[in-house]
Amino acid sequence: MALQGVEQTILRDPALFYWILFPISIVMILTGILRHYATVLMNTPPKPPSSLAESRERLSLFRGVNLRNHACAVLPKESFEMRKNYLVNAYQAGAFLKDPESRGQPPPNPMTDPAGMDAMMGMMKGNMMMMIPQTLIMSWINAFFSGFVILRLPFPLTIRFKSMLQSGVMTRDLDVRWVSSLSWYFLNLFGLQSVFGFILGSDNAANQMAQQMGAMNPAAQANPFQPGQDPDKLYKSEAENLEVVEHFCILDGIEERILHNLAAKEGF
Amino acid sequence: MACSSSGHCRAKHSTDMVSTLYLSQQAPSILDRRLTSKSSVQPLTIPGCEHLEEQETVEKLFVACLQTGDDKSALLCFEHLTQCFGLSNERVTGLRGLYEEAIAEDDTGLENCLQKYNKLLQENPVNVPILKRRVALLRSMSRIADAIAALIEFIDAIPTDAEAWCELADLYQSQGMSSQAIFCLEEALLIAPNAWNILAQLGEVLYITASSQEAETARKLLGRSISLFCRSIELCDDYLRGFYGLVLVSSTLLNSSDGPLHNSFNASVGDTPSKDHLKRLHAFARKKLWDILKSRLSLSQQEYGCSEGDLIAARELLDRLGDSK
Repeated sequence: MALQGVEQTILRDPALFYWILFPISIVMILTGILRHYATVLMNTPPKPPSSLAESRERLSLFRGVNLRNHACAVLPKESFEMRKNYLVNAYQAGAFLKDPESRGQPPPNPMTDPAGMDAMMGMMKGNMMMMIPQTLIMSWINAFFSGFVILRLPFPLTIRFKSMLQSGVMTRDLDVRWVSSLSWYFLNLFGLQSVFGFILGSDNAANQMAQQMGAMNPAAQANPFQPGQDPDKLYKSEAENLEVVEHFCILDGIEERILHNLAAKEGF
Repeated sequence: MACSSSGHCRAKHSTDMVSTLYLSQQAPSILDRRLTSKSSVQPLTIPGCEHLEEQETVEKLFVACLQTGDDKSALLCFEHLTQCFGLSNERVTGLRGLYEEAIAEDDTGLENCLQKYNKLLQENPVNVPILKRRVALLRSMSRIADAIAALIEFIDAIPTDAEAWCELADLYQSQGMSSQAIFCLEEALLIAPNAWNILAQLGEVLYITASSQEAETARKLLGRSISLFCRSIELCDDYLRGFYGLVLVSSTLLNSSDGPLHNSFNASVGDTPSKDHLKRLHAFARKKLWDILKSRLSLSQQEYGCSEGDLIAARELLDRLGDSK
């Protein structure tokens, strides 16, 4: 261990700062922007459904979700029970499926299914867009800058941060506050979200978090099914979710609420 | 889409014609600006195609022009949109249908439009704008039953479209099928639970339905209607329609308690508020309605954002209740 209470000093050439720290940061930002535009260019919009039955199969699931989430805002008890029973029965009987005959059969191989193939290609493109630049930059840094200590943090840290801040520098006794070039790359990789948000807008494609979350926005033409997923199973689980919903309604007692909240202000 | 069914919109928004006219009169200046920028600033790209908001503005302008009969400007708008998206774009085909319907002079013209829609739908059965146009066209040709059937087919395939549910409710209501209309509005609300205008609309439909029902059911429906109007007021401050409905329904309920429905009123029904609450609600809503009316009458047409007809109706209701101090 380093001597307690003694400031470690390392004499660094200030050129290290200009020739390593800045280049890495700038390259990271530029690749982020480049990746954003490459993703925008290569992005293919999800395929719209080709028949009414397919559209029904996709969107009927949202009906159950809507009922589950929004019934409390609108429906009285009997309407809710009626809809719940209808949807649960229909989901369990597979009434919304594109071709009810193929229920229970294993899903088609996504490799041979052309529709699945498209989605797989889309996913692969996205992954490639992440992996290739990262691999390149990391090997670039490893080749040129490995082992440099380039930065000293102005605040003390515990020993656990050593592996995070000093990857590539195998010095046991070095104070945790020193940051190596490779670690600076990692810090940039995960810490530049807000910079990209500032430059490109909040919903940018360079945002890795959004990519990892997977795209499931409830837009009108959204497809809730990932390739190779069996819609029947999703319907069954949605039916189970619906069955356990307890009914309550925010319209109960709303008159008192209005009188209490709004009318009181007016002096009633 | 801003206006899926032109005939329907025309009927419904006829009181808004003043503001629509105002909008469409600006069309030449907006279009001029666009034409000049086309020649000078950006020679490579078609101007205005990059921004989605601008497209939406042009689309709304297009509808406004059609509504006010300015077909020339409408055609210019449409050409602009076609340049941006191409003729095969679904939305553009829908707008084109709208334009052709608008300039069709007689029933054979409309019939031709319908044939064209059918052909387009054979090529792509999930062309949403065309599906909607077809329903609207059937409606404006007053083939209501066909329109309802087509709309049901549409909703069966795309059950997450609140606009379609509202349109279906309106169709049912026009045929006097109230319970179906109520069901449809409830479905629309499940998709957009905080839409205060749909809440108020459902309240209105319930109120209308109640007038033709037995005492007991009517009381229940009116109770629900009151709670829906309350909710719409809760969601939107100073919502004229909500307060109007609240005044109307609560006065009906209060009157009925003095009349032949007196017995059922005393038997405490869980759904309806107590008489004391009802009275206070009524007084509150009346005062608010009067306040809103006063404040809006002092504004000019473009500013207050609601139609003249609403104000006149509100005034008349207050007059009838003897409240015009």
